[in-house]
Amino acid sequence: MQIGFIGLGLMGCPMAQHLARAGHSLHLWARRPAALEPFKDIGAHAHVSAAEVAKHAEIVITMVADGPDVAQVCLGAGGLSEGAAAAGKAGLIIVDMSTIAPAVARDVGAQLAAKGIEFLDAPVSGGEVGAKAASLTIMVGGKASVFDKVKPLFEKLGKSSTLIGDCGAGQVAKACNQILTGVGVAAVAEAFNFARKSGVDPARVREALLGGFAYSKILENHGQRMLDRNFKPGFKAWMHQKDLRIVMEEAHKLGLMLPGAAATAQMFNAMVGSGLGEEDSIAMLKLLERMSGSE
Amino acid sequence: MNLGFIGLGAMGRPLAAHLLRAGHALAVWSRRPETKAPLLAAGAQVCASPAEVARHAEIVFTMVTGSDDVAAVVLGDQGLIHGCVAAGGQFSTLVDMSTIAPATACHIARSLDERGVRMLDAPVSGGVTAAEGAALAIMVGGPAETLELVRPLFELLGKTIVHVGENGAGQVAKACNQMVMVAAIEAGAEAMRLATASGVDPAKVRQALLAGSAGSRVLEVFGARMVNRDFQAGVEARLHHKDFGILLDEAHRLGCPLPIAAVVGQQLNSLMAQGWGRDDSASLLRVVERGSGRK
Repeated sequence: MQIGFIGLGLMGCPMAQHLARAGHSLHLWARRPAALEPFKDIGAHAHVSAAEVAKHAEIVITMVADGPDVAQVCLGAGGLSEGAAAAGKAGLIIVDMSTIAPAVARDVGAQLAAKGIEFLDAPVSGGEVGAKAASLTIMVGGKASVFDKVKPLFEKLGKSSTLIGDCGAGQVAKACNQILTGVGVAAVAEAFNFARKSGVDPARVREALLGGFAYSKILENHGQRMLDRNFKPGFKAWMHQKDLRIVMEEAHKLGLMLPGAAATAQMFNAMVGSGLGEEDSIAMLKLLERMSGSE
Repeated sequence: MNLGFIGLGAMGRPLAAHLLRAGHALAVWSRRPETKAPLLAAGAQVCASPAEVARHAEIVFTMVTGSDDVAAVVLGDQGLIHGCVAAGGQFSTLVDMSTIAPATACHIARSLDERGVRMLDAPVSGGVTAAEGAALAIMVGGPAETLELVRPLFELLGKTIVHVGENGAGQVAKACNQMVMVAAIEAGAEAMRLATASGVDPAKVRQALLAGSAGSRVLEVFGARMVNRDFQAGVEARLHHKDFGILLDEAHRLGCPLPIAAVVGQQLNSLMAQGWGRDDSASLLRVVERGSGRK
């Protein structure tokens, strides 16, 4: 299949390589030419604009930083819809795997639909590790018929893909995911800080808790990295801060009370403000230690 | 002097009337025509657009709802900027008394500066009562010489005029004002609820507290509304909800944790969801009551 891929960062790069390895022809465009380096020897086609990518591809995947980037790549000058129109092409499918606000996804989807372009929002969970291992969890919003067409590609990228609902529903699921992981990381960090300040070994506490109702993947995986004091990202704290901002803005719009997420979002603000933004979000532990006078 | 006034709502109307009464010529415009009638009777000149106001007035005051409203009134198609001196009108100074995002205030100031127009951001505190009594606290951001030009007019509207700093600084001060004030309303609501839940008369508790260290203007004014269960707006809660959106956005942008403001923001979200947005912010008491199983 002719597949377009835009956004070859930490996540996008290994994902695009999985698709190439599965025998698909890749059409790429990147803001930074350096991002194209890893694709030189595998026969991928580099293009000068997103519009050119759209002319050559049946399905285009985007994996960029934020809502305005998605809107720009899809609908802006030199963007995908411009290329599809110029090629007089019907039935292009755009799959946005970035994490953006549900409202922006719905808006982009509606504008593309008006131009005869199909759109899925398909954000992922699993981080860089999941992207490399093709073990992502993919949460999809859009039409079932389009989802069925793209599913074989999702199977090359992740271990599960679920159609949640209409356009925007994938981003809603991702926002829910970010509430759980954000609050979860904060809770594990608080528990470990509490244990240590009380003179108890947090490693023993973790081991005991893994057997009970407090078991979670975050306690297991993120907890282990906290004990190892391995704060290399992973998933950077500033990205989690951005994702929780999306959550809190939706809550503001909907008149929705999210006190736990609100408190956690402020802790991510503190991380970014105090220079921990580029570390993994588990550096929440460092913030709590500092704030408790025990760094 | 030839003055202009845009935004004739509950706050804007009495302020415009003070300026007229002092003998200034006043050109006015507002979205809702019915708000103009009393000022027309008092001798104001009603204009068809902000641009027309700008053609007749050197100094224009704006008192509208949100960032987008100010941007539209000043920079939009029929905006004030089209009646500036460089465009053949009289408009040379903007005094924006609305509560908007500091970043928007800075952006508008820069756009106006390019056309030779000076701006003050001059949000106010004190509500409708202080507007009617010309007793507002005015927080000013912008060039000192522009403030000196406008000061005699501010003295017709308020009794405290503080030059906080450059453009945007007035809005930062207002954000701080809203944060402190609404957090105090929430604290008052929780105290009133705790008293009632304990079977103690909240009116007596308020009376006792007013004389001591917890005494405050908020406890006096909003506490009385809570005790009397008078939720008719003084200040519409939806405006405080809007302001919390602004200040929590700033917190995100600056990497600045505001844990209490974040929680108060959630209580305001809940208030909006109950349909109390057009009631007074004393309704935060009703949010706490709902959370304690009282309807």
